[in-house]
Amino acid sequence: MKTANHRALFDFKPKEKGTIVAFTDDRIACKMMMMGVRPGATLEFVRRAPFRGGCYIKAGNAAFALRRKEAECILLETKV
Amino acid sequence: MYSFRDESMIAIETKTVALFGNPNSGKSSLFNQLTGLRQKVGNFPGVTVDRKVARLQLFDEQEVKLIDFPGTYSIYPNSQDERIVATHLCNPSSEDYPDAVIYVADITHLEKHLLLFTQLRDLGLPILLMLSMNDLAEQEGLVVDVQKLSKVLEVPVLQFDGRAKSQHTELKTTIQNLLNQEPAPTSPLYKPSSEEKTIIQAVRTATEIKSDYHALLLAHHHDWLPNLETSTKNSIQEITEKNDFKSLKHQIQETLNRFDHFSPIVNKVISKKGEDNTITDRLDQILTHRFWGVLIFFALMLLVFQAIFAWASYPMDGIEATFGWLGEQVETMLPDNWFRSLLVDGILAGLAGVLVFIPQIAILFFLIALLEEVGYMARAVFLFDRVMQRFGMNGRSLVALISGGACAIPAIMSTRTISDWKERLITILVTPFISCSARIPVYIVLVAFVVPAGKWLFISWQAWAFMGLYLLGITTALVSAWVLKKVLKAESHSFLMLELPKYRSPRILDVLLTVWDKVKSFILEAGKIILLISIVLWFLASYGPGEEMQLAEQEAIELATQQNLDEQATDNLIAAKKIESSYAGILGKTIEPVIRPLGFDWKIGIALITSFAAREVFVGTMATIYSIGSEEDEYKIQERMAKERHILTGQPVYTLATSLSLLIFYVLAMQCVSTLAVVKKETNSWRWPTIQFVAMTAMAYLGSLLVYQFLG
Repeated sequence: MKTANHRALFDFKPKEKGTIVAFTDDRIACKMMMMGVRPGATLEFVRRAPFRGGCYIKAGNAAFALRRKEAECILLETKV
Repeated sequence: MYSFRDESMIAIETKTVALFGNPNSGKSSLFNQLTGLRQKVGNFPGVTVDRKVARLQLFDEQEVKLIDFPGTYSIYPNSQDERIVATHLCNPSSEDYPDAVIYVADITHLEKHLLLFTQLRDLGLPILLMLSMNDLAEQEGLVVDVQKLSKVLEVPVLQFDGRAKSQHTELKTTIQNLLNQEPAPTSPLYKPSSEEKTIIQAVRTATEIKSDYHALLLAHHHDWLPNLETSTKNSIQEITEKNDFKSLKHQIQETLNRFDHFSPIVNKVISKKGEDNTITDRLDQILTHRFWGVLIFFALMLLVFQAIFAWASYPMDGIEATFGWLGEQVETMLPDNWFRSLLVDGILAGLAGVLVFIPQIAILFFLIALLEEVGYMARAVFLFDRVMQRFGMNGRSLVALISGGACAIPAIMSTRTISDWKERLITILVTPFISCSARIPVYIVLVAFVVPAGKWLFISWQAWAFMGLYLLGITTALVSAWVLKKVLKAESHSFLMLELPKYRSPRILDVLLTVWDKVKSFILEAGKIILLISIVLWFLASYGPGEEMQLAEQEAIELATQQNLDEQATDNLIAAKKIESSYAGILGKTIEPVIRPLGFDWKIGIALITSFAAREVFVGTMATIYSIGSEEDEYKIQERMAKERHILTGQPVYTLATSLSLLIFYVLAMQCVSTLAVVKKETNSWRWPTIQFVAMTAMAYLGSLLVYQFLG
């Protein structure tokens, strides 16, 4: 499934957007979906946290703070 | 006559109305508006999760019980708070099982907030859907077709912001209808897969449960639900094993299925004409910035500390003065006997010791609740989660550690929002290392013996020393947390995944109710212990075995006559001699051999023991032991302590080595019974407070020993 334009959310640059293709961890996927973040949704990587921490993301008009390992398990597709 | 009695019988049976919703849905705000000060805060049985309840009067004279359940995203829980929701909804025989539900959903995130709603509806509960955050929706030009939404979801829908009285009327009428009418049959919104249908059938046959969705929930949750009988548990276990039921997989399927079903509905009823409000985005560019955000956070914390220490000192002085005055009044009114002594030195002193902390606790929680209410706290968690994680904690632990600067008791209670047990436990265990306000008077008295007057970089040496003591506390907290992280073995599924709510102006009613709640729980949790210990200590210091006390008094009077002391000095000398021969004095002398290597004598031993009520009692004890009539003047006590000499060697007692050793002891030792009691309550065992007490005391002992032996 993983192709050139499927990338983990954590590797995004600020302001970059993508569409969720898959989650690589079921537990994290389950919790994300219950918070309304599910495959097909568009995510925006807003900024990185200080101290080599997680990241600030937006899904529609909702904002979330994710840990690094949470952001690493979300695979997104970007338009080429 | 007879029918009248019948009616009253019906009215006695109180029905339960429950508030459910996602976190940040405005649910608790609605609860506050409906109930105000009538709400009672307690715990759900067996767990330390806040249970807010209030009685609510409807129009038909009916009184209902309104319960505010913790905010949760779904009926599949991740934390202790969220488990409460599933526990109660899976147990129709619980007295908190709702007869009707008020579901609060944020209108600006309607799609996300409907997930739990559809789950509750599939349990067959009568539901009223309340749309909140209408002010934000108005700003963004968001319009909802309420009638259409009500029709497709088959439940009554109200828009609520609590500003108009008429809305309360509408709300109460709707609840009344839900309770009194037989619910119209609705078809479930979620259609189980064929695999799930098999399970549901099997569970229903085994348990006589009527609702399909309830049966499915038991299949998911049977292994941890506390109210399930073992036989039921085992039969469901058998069913799930036989059918190879994978809970997580089915949770994901169900969630996706539900969203697919209601997303189109939401899109149909909502229309948007305005632009997104970008204030939050613009503020967050600075407030969550990797440099400025951190800087602003520390500036805010400095402000919080300034508030705790500078502003709170006025009401604190007022409380102390009032109790001092009260004591004097009692002394002039009552004859000098044991009862007066108990009243003044035991009860009044104990009460003052409780009440004096209230200004700091109130101010601290006012500011924290304010930051929480406007949405800032979630940003602080975002900024510091990684740092705290390195020490085995969570971004939310930061709030507890900061609160610990005022008092460890409310700080430990505030850890309830941390979902991961290991992270929460570590936070609870290390918070008492943070120097709380009760240590300040002790630091003030002792610091003068350690560092000379004088300045460096325009700041006095003593202020630097103060800062050093705080830093020592913080460093020890972090190092201990790091060690605990390595040592504690617990399966950890810790998440951050935190929603960052939009910034909004604070609702002052919510903030004030939080402050009221915290102050009340401090008085109830810690207050009674401090008071009790104060009375026990009063007894220990006022009584001694046999005739010892009288002999000591006579001896003091003789000595005073020999030395021609005035009345005041004589009284002080008597008090000092009496405490020496009291039970407290005996205790002090008993532990002297143990604390001798730290440079402490039996007098300091007494102070260490009395500090268990609250650390600042040290100062009062010193005042009594060194026979200084008033305990108000810390400098007078300092002066007297400086003159204290060893009986044998004639050397000063409060040398640099002894004073520093004592300071280190106060920074590190667990000398607060109330904190231990709260830890016992929050961890639900004697194990953790015992470990905490032993470890902290050992660290304090070793720290003091090193300092004294090295310098002494």
